[in-house]
Amino acid sequence: MSSERYSFSLTTFSPSGKLVQIEYALAAVAAGAPSVGIKASNGVVIATENKHKSILYDEHSVHKVEMITKHIGMVYSGMGPDYRLLVKQARKMAQQYYLVYKEPIPTVQLVQRVATVMQEYTQSGGVRPFGVSLLICGWDNNRPYLFQCDPSGAYFAWKATAMGKNYVNGKTFLEKRYSEELELDDAVHTAILTLKESFEGQMTADNIEVGICDPQGFRRFDPSTVKDFLANIP
Amino acid sequence: MSYVLCPEIPEPGFSFENCKRNALLESKGFTTPKAIKTGTTIVGIVYKDGVILGADTRATEDTTVADKNCEKIHFLAPNMYCCGAGTAADTEMTTQMVAAQLELHKLYTNREARVATANQLLKQYLFSYQGYIGAALILGGVDIEGPHLHMIYPHGSSVDLPYATMGSGSLAAISVFELGWKPEMGEEEGIQLVRNAIAAGIFNDLGSGSNVDVCIIRKGVVDYRRTYDEANKKGVRQGSYKFPRGATAVLSTKVVDVEEVSVTPVEAERMDVAAF
Amino acid sequence: MSILAYNGGAMVAMKGENCVAIAADRRFGIQAQTVATNFEKVFEMGPHLFVGLPGLATDTQTVMEKLRFRKNLYELKENRRISPKVFAAMISNMLYEKRFGPFFVEPVVAGLAPDTFEPYICNMDLIGCLNEPSDFVVGGTASAQLYGMCESLWEPNLAPDDLFETISQALINAFDRDAISGWGATVYIVEKDKVTIRNLKTRMD
Repeated sequence: MSSERYSFSLTTFSPSGKLVQIEYALAAVAAGAPSVGIKASNGVVIATENKHKSILYDEHSVHKVEMITKHIGMVYSGMGPDYRLLVKQARKMAQQYYLVYKEPIPTVQLVQRVATVMQEYTQSGGVRPFGVSLLICGWDNNRPYLFQCDPSGAYFAWKATAMGKNYVNGKTFLEKRYSEELELDDAVHTAILTLKESFEGQMTADNIEVGICDPQGFRRFDPSTVKDFLANIP
Repeated sequence: MSYVLCPEIPEPGFSFENCKRNALLESKGFTTPKAIKTGTTIVGIVYKDGVILGADTRATEDTTVADKNCEKIHFLAPNMYCCGAGTAADTEMTTQMVAAQLELHKLYTNREARVATANQLLKQYLFSYQGYIGAALILGGVDIEGPHLHMIYPHGSSVDLPYATMGSGSLAAISVFELGWKPEMGEEEGIQLVRNAIAAGIFNDLGSGSNVDVCIIRKGVVDYRRTYDEANKKGVRQGSYKFPRGATAVLSTKVVDVEEVSVTPVEAERMDVAAF
Repeated sequence: MSILAYNGGAMVAMKGENCVAIAADRRFGIQAQTVATNFEKVFEMGPHLFVGLPGLATDTQTVMEKLRFRKNLYELKENRRISPKVFAAMISNMLYEKRFGPFFVEPVVAGLAPDTFEPYICNMDLIGCLNEPSDFVVGGTASAQLYGMCESLWEPNLAPDDLFETISQALINAFDRDAISGWGATVYIVEKDKVTIRNLKTRMD
C-alpha cells in the first residue's frame, strides 16, 4: 500500500534514548482516576474511582471494572475510550484461547497477550500508544493473580498496587497496610481505604467501583454491596 | 490480527493450502476419505415450562460405529443447548464457535443472550458456507421471551417449531411426536415422549444407536441428563480372554525411566516499590 | 481406493490401571509394495505423551512436525508441560482448520496427565472430530479388525504387563488379516515412573 510509505510510528526515540510518547502516555495515566488492586490469601480485589462531573450523570450504566472471562477481571487508570478497545481484545483473546485448547486461559497468558497488543501500538505505523495502565486480576491454578499492564507493553505482578492520580501516596499507604495473611474482605476494605486517601469529596457507592475474583470467579459488586463495605469505613 | 510484530497469532478462518494437492490425488483415483458422521436421531420439544432436547449417542464412519457414546447435545450458553446432526466435526466446531460468540455478546451487552440471536449466528454462518459445513441443528433454549425451538439446516435456513426432529432417524422420531405431542405438556410426560422418539430412532435407524441423552431447559435451570436411558445394555462377558503374561514374542525391550521433575522453590521477592 | 490406504498401517491405544498403551505396526508401503519395515508412526511428545498418526505417510510426518512445533511453542510460552487433553484439543483444532483440504491422518493420542497421572486416550477423524472413550481407540487400515479384537480382548483395570499382552495380541491378530499393515510392531506402555518400548516378533508376509 502506498499509504504505508508515510505511515511511520509516532513513537520514536529522542536523542537521549527516551521514548517520549510512552512517557506522555504514562503521564496521561498518572493524571487519570486512581485505581487499586490487592491480592488476598483467598482472592483478589480491584477497585477504582468513578466520579462524575455533573449530578445529571446516570451512574451504574457505564462501568470501569469489567469482566474479561469467568475468572478474570480488569480495571484501568487513564483514558476510557482506549480501555474499551483493550477490553474487547482481551475478551476475544480469552475466547480464542478456549476454542483452541478447551481450557480457560491462564491469567498470565492473557496478561502477556494484552501486553503484546499494547507493545504493538508503540512500534506500529500510524498509531499512538494506549493512554491506559491496566490492572488485571484473576484466579486460576488455585491462587490469585494481580498484574499491571503499562502503555509500553511492560507488565508487573503485584501483591498490591495503586495507579493513576496520587499513585505514589496510594502505594505508600498499601506498603504500610499490606500483609500476606490478608483475607479477601479485609483486602476490599483496604482497597477502599486506599482510594479514600486521595478521594476528594464524599465517597459513596455511586462513585467507586469494586470487583473481586476468587475460586467462584470474577464479579463486580453491585452498589448495595459497596455500600455495606463503606458503612464500615470511618 | 496477525501482524509482522506478533506472527504467533494465527490467521483466522479455514486454510486451503492442501486443496490443490488433494484435488490432484483425487484425479488420480485416490478418493478423499469420509469424515465421521453422527448418523443421528436428534429431537426437541417445547413443553409447559421450557424446552426438552434429546439425542442418541452413536457416531459412524461409513458403516463402522466410530463412537458408541458421543455427546450430541452441545452447550451454547447457560440457557441454551443445541443438538447436532451431520458431519461430527462440523457440528462440534460450529457450536463451540457460536458459544464463544454468545459469551462475548453477553459480556458486551450485560444481558443473557437470546435464542433468536444464537439462531441468527448459526444460520448466517452456515449460509455463508453454502451447505459445505454439514451441520443440521436443533437449537433450544429459554430466554426472557420464553421457550424457543429452532431447526437449522446445513444450507442456512431455519424454522421455529413446537416440536422438531433431525438426522437420519428423524422420520422414526417424528412419527412418535406426531402421535404423542400436545401443547402444554407436563415435564415427566415430555421427557418420556422425547425418550420414546429417540428410542424409535435408535431401534429403527441404523445410523442411530446406543443411549438416550436428554436435556431439559427451564427458565433459569438446566437439567442435562447424560445417558438418561441405556437402550442397549451390553451383556456381561462370562469368560476372560486375557492372555497369560509372556504370550507375545518380544524382539527387544527398552525401558525409559521418567524421572521426577525436581522443583526448586523460588524465594518470594520483596515487593517492588520503586517507581518505574 | 482411499488415500488413507495408500501406505497402510494399523494403530491402537488402550487405557489400563494407572497406565496407557499405544501400539502400531512398522510397515511402510506404496500400495501393495513394502518399502520399509522400520517405519515409526508413534511419536513421543513428552515424557508421558504419545501421538500416533496413521494414514498417508507424507502427512504422518508433516503433521508430526507441525504438532511438535505447536507443542514446543505452547510449552515455552506457558512454561509448563502440555496435558494430553489440551494436546488433543490442539490437534483437533489444527485439523479442522484444514476442513476443506485435510491432511490424510487419523490421529491417536495416549498419555498421562502431567499433574494427576490420569490416563487419557482419544482419536479423531481426519478433520479433527474428537472421540474420547473410556476403553480403547483404533486407527489405520486395519481399524475394522482392531475394533473386533479390542471389543473382545479389552477389559477394565488391566495392569501394565497384562495391558501389554492385550494390546499386542489385539494388534497382531488384527493386522494379520490386513495385507497392507504388519511387518513388525512397536508397543509403548506408559506408566507414571517409566515408559516401556517393546518391538514385537510378528509374521513378515
